[in-house]
Amino acid sequence: MSSWLDYTINGLIVGNVYALVAVGLALIFGVSRLINFAQGSIYLVGAYIGWVAVVQLHTPLPLTIILVAVVAALVGLIIERFGLRPLQNSVRIAPLLATIGISFVLDQLVMLTFSPNPRALPSQLPDVRFQVGGGTIGPLDLLIAGVGITSALLLFVFLRYSKLGWAVRAASQDRDAAMQMGVDVNRVNQAVFGIAAALGGVSGMLVGMYYNQIDTAMSLQATLKGVVAEVVGGAGNVPGAVVGSLLLGLVESYGVAVFGTSYRNLFAFLLLVVVLVLRPNGLFASARQAPPEPLTGTFIAPSRPLRIPCWALSAAVAVFAILPLLPVSFYVLQTLINAWLLGMLALSLTLVAGTIGQVSLGHAALLAIGAYTSALLSLTLNLPVGLAIIAGGLMSAALGTILISPSFRLRGHYVSIATLAIGEIVSLVILNWESVTRGPIGISGIPPLSLFGYDLISPASIYWFAFAVMVVLALLQARLLSSHLGRSFRAIRDDDIAARAYGLSLNRYKSLAFIFGGFAAGVSGGIAAHLYSYINHETFNTQQSILALTVVILGGLGNVVGAIVGAVALVGLPEVFRIAAEYRILIYGIVLLLLVRFRPQGLLGTI
Amino acid sequence: MSNINRRTLVQGSLAMMAGAAFSRSAFADAEPILLGVSGPLTGPNAQYGTQWKQGFDLALDEITAAGGIDGRKLAYQFEDSQSDPRQSVAIAQKFVSDPKIVLELGDFSSPASMAASPIYQRGGLVQFGFTNSHPDFTKGGDFMWSTSVSQADEQPLLARYAVKSLGLKKLAVLHLNTDWGRTSRDYFNNAAKEYGAEIVVTEGYIAEERDFRSTLVRVRDANPDGLVLISYYSDGALIARQARQVGLKQVICAASSVYSPKFLELGGEAVEDVHVGTRYFPEDPRPEVQKFIAGFKKKYNGLEPDAFNAYSYDAMNMAAAVIRIGGTDRRAIRDAFAKVKDVPSVIFGTATFDVATRRVKGAMNAELVVRKGQFALWDGKPT
Repeated sequence: MSSWLDYTINGLIVGNVYALVAVGLALIFGVSRLINFAQGSIYLVGAYIGWVAVVQLHTPLPLTIILVAVVAALVGLIIERFGLRPLQNSVRIAPLLATIGISFVLDQLVMLTFSPNPRALPSQLPDVRFQVGGGTIGPLDLLIAGVGITSALLLFVFLRYSKLGWAVRAASQDRDAAMQMGVDVNRVNQAVFGIAAALGGVSGMLVGMYYNQIDTAMSLQATLKGVVAEVVGGAGNVPGAVVGSLLLGLVESYGVAVFGTSYRNLFAFLLLVVVLVLRPNGLFASARQAPPEPLTGTFIAPSRPLRIPCWALSAAVAVFAILPLLPVSFYVLQTLINAWLLGMLALSLTLVAGTIGQVSLGHAALLAIGAYTSALLSLTLNLPVGLAIIAGGLMSAALGTILISPSFRLRGHYVSIATLAIGEIVSLVILNWESVTRGPIGISGIPPLSLFGYDLISPASIYWFAFAVMVVLALLQARLLSSHLGRSFRAIRDDDIAARAYGLSLNRYKSLAFIFGGFAAGVSGGIAAHLYSYINHETFNTQQSILALTVVILGGLGNVVGAIVGAVALVGLPEVFRIAAEYRILIYGIVLLLLVRFRPQGLLGTI
Repeated sequence: MSNINRRTLVQGSLAMMAGAAFSRSAFADAEPILLGVSGPLTGPNAQYGTQWKQGFDLALDEITAAGGIDGRKLAYQFEDSQSDPRQSVAIAQKFVSDPKIVLELGDFSSPASMAASPIYQRGGLVQFGFTNSHPDFTKGGDFMWSTSVSQADEQPLLARYAVKSLGLKKLAVLHLNTDWGRTSRDYFNNAAKEYGAEIVVTEGYIAEERDFRSTLVRVRDANPDGLVLISYYSDGALIARQARQVGLKQVICAASSVYSPKFLELGGEAVEDVHVGTRYFPEDPRPEVQKFIAGFKKKYNGLEPDAFNAYSYDAMNMAAAVIRIGGTDRRAIRDAFAKVKDVPSVIFGTATFDVATRRVKGAMNAELVVRKGQFALWDGKPT
C-alpha cells in the first residue's frame, strides 16, 4: 500500500518536470496556434547556459536563473523575429516546419560548441533531503514545483487582468480583428516568445540540475513529453498544461507500477490518444470555447502549383531509368534508392497530409508495420519476397487505417499530435511484443529482394526495382487525384463542413486515403527490410516521420511530383554536405529554413 | 539586419566546411593506406563517434611514430552515419566502390551496422565492427569480423563478481532495452543463476529514459540485496543517483560499459562504492594498458580514457596488425584476420580471432569499485 503512495509522489515529481516545458508550449500555442518544436531546443540552450554560469562563472543560483532567463529570452526573440515573423502571412504550416528547422540549427550549434558528451550540472541548492513516503525529495523538487506553479499562475493572471494580456488573448482569438482594434500583434508575439523562451531556458537548467546531467539529445524528448502534457491539459491553456503534466507523470508512474518500466511511454501516449478522442480540446477546455482551429481550410493555403510539362516529366523518368547504365558510382545509386524509398513514404504522406489535410507525424509506423510484416512472412512462412512486400503494404494499409481512425474526428494540429502518439505506440508495441517481433533483438537474416525467383542483389537491379515501384505508385496516385475521388479529398481538406453538406462521408474518404497511403508506405518499409536484412524497433523512428513531413511540405502539399523531388533533395542534401563532416546537419537545417522562408508553399506548390 | 545575419551565418559555415576539408587533405600527401569509418558524429549517438575518434587518433599517432606500415601512413576517412541505417548503407556503397578504402570500421548501432553488412559482404570489403555485440552480427558473412567483447564472455564475469565475490544472493537487474542490453541481461541472468543467485526482478528501460524513481520502487518492493546495472555511463549514473535518493542502500554492480570518468562526474557521491567489472584499470601493470593510458592522458590534456576509447584504440591497432599481414588487397585482408595472432590489446591482453565465430574470446577481467570518487581495484572488503 505504501508503494502506491511512492508511485504517486514519483509521478507528481516527474510531472513537475514536464510542466515546465508544457507551460511554455501552451503559452505559444495559445497565441499563435503553433506547436513550437524549437521549445525543446531552447530548453537545451538554457541547460548549457546554466552549465557555463555554474561551472565556468561560478554564479550564485539567483544570478544563474536570471542569466539563463535573459539569454533564453533573447534566443526566443531572435527566433520570433527572424524565423517566424517573416512567415506570418504565408501558409499556416510553414511556421511549424520553420520551428523544426530552427530546432535542428540550435541543437547542432549547442553540440558543436559543447561537444556531444554529456556533462554534469551540479545543483547549487543545499543537499538536504526530506523523507516522504518511502523515498526522499530535495529542495530542487520544491523549486521546480514552485517555478512551474508560480509561472502558470502568473501567466494566468497576466492573461486575465493585464492590458498586454488582453492583447495576447485578443490576438489569439482573431488576429485581424485585434489589429483593427490597434493591438500591435508583433509586440504581443514578441512578448509571448520572450516569456516562453525564458521559461523554457530556466526549465532546461533546473531539469539539468535535477538529474545532474545535460546532453544534446535531451531536446527532442523534452518537446515530445511537453507536447503530450500540453495537449492533455488543453492546448493553449496554461493552468491546464500544469495539470496535464501532473496527470501524465502519474499515468506513467502507475503504468510502470503495474506493467513494468518498458511500458512507461506506451501509457503516456495512450493517455494522449484517449484524451484527444474523448475531449478533442483537452481536459480543461470549456464547452463554450471556440474550436481551436478555423473551420475552413486556412491550415493549408491553396497556391498555384508549378506545372511541369508532360515531356519534361517523361524525360526525367527516362534519364533516371537509364542511370544505372551510365558510369555512375554505386554510392550515387544507393543514395537514389534511399530517395525512392523515402519518395514512396512521401507519396503516402502527401496524399493524407496534403490532399485530404490530415497532417500525420507518425508515418514511420506505417513503414515499420510493412517492414515487420514482410520480413516475418518471408522468414517464417517462406513467402516469396515479392508477395511478402505486397502483403506488407496491405497489412500497413489495414492496420494503419484502423489505428489512425480514432483521429478522424480531429482537426488541424490535433491530427498531427494524435498521429505522433500513434506512431510512438506502434514503436513501443514492437519493442514489447517480443513473441512476434523479437523485441529489441530485432529480426536478422531477412532474405534479400527477389522477384520471380531471381535475387536482386546488384545495386542496379535494386535501383530499378525501387524506381519502378515508386513510378507505378506515383502514376496511380496522379490518376487518383484527377478522379472524382481526388476532388472529394480536396473538398474535405478545404472545407469539411461544406463537404459534409454536399453529402461526402468524411470518415469513409479519410479511410480511403489512409488505405491507399498506408499501402505505399508499407511497400516502402517492406523493400527497406529486405534491403537492410536486419530491422529492429529503432530502424523506423520519429525522426523518419519528421523527415517525411519535411519532404512533403518542401515538395508542396498534395503534389505527387513534389513529393519525389523533395525526397531526392532531402536524401541528397545531407550526402552532398558530407564534406562538411560534423557541420552537415547544421547546414542542412539552415538550407531548410531558407527554403521555408522563400518557398513556404513548397518547391512545386500545393495542389 | 536580417540579411547581414544570414550572410554571416552562411559565410561562417562555408569557412567551417573549408576548414574540415583542409584538415582532411593534410593526410593525403603521403599516399596513406586508407580505412573507412562509418559512425555517428551527429545525432543522438554523436558522443560515441567522438570517443572513437580519440582512440583512433592516439593509435594512429603511435603507428605513425613507429614508421607506419611498410613506410606508409595509416589514415581513416570518417563518414557520419548518425547511426541511421539509411545513411550507413549509402556509406557502405561509397566505401565499397572507393578502391582506396582497404577496410571498414563500424557502425555503432546494430540497425545501422547490420543493414550495411550485405553490401560489405557482396562488395568484398571487411566490415570490422568493434562495438557490435549483437550475436548475429558476424553471421552476416565471412567479411564481418568483430572485436566487441562477446556478452557471453563478459556477463558471466560480472555475475561471478556479484554473486561469488560480493556474495549477493537476490539480484535486481536493470538493463537498457536494446539488443545489447537484452542479450547481456540473458547471459547475466543465466550465469548468476548458475552461481546460485536468484533474480528477483528485471526491468528494461529505453535509452531516452531519465526518470527511474518509479522503476526503483518496483525494485525496492522485490527486496533484492543487490542492484545490477546493464547500462551505459550516462543512464547508469542517473539510476545510481536516483536509487540513493529513493533510499535504496543496496550494493550496486555495473557492467563495464559504465567505465568512464563521466560516470564519476555525472553520478557524484551516489556512485561511491559502485562495483564495476571492467576489462582494464588505471593501475593495471600490463604494458599495453600503461602505454594506452599514458599516451591518452598526454594527448588529451590529462583526460582519463573510457571503455569506448579503449575499444577504438584496440580496433585501430588490430586493423594495423591485419594490414601488416594482408597488405592492401581487400581479400587478403579478410584472410589476414584469420592469421593474425596475439595482437597486444587493452581489452583482451592479446587478441586472436576465433575463425569459426570471427570474434575474439577471453576478455581480461578486473574487479573495480569506486572509492573516493575514483575507480580502484576492489580490495575484497565488503561495502
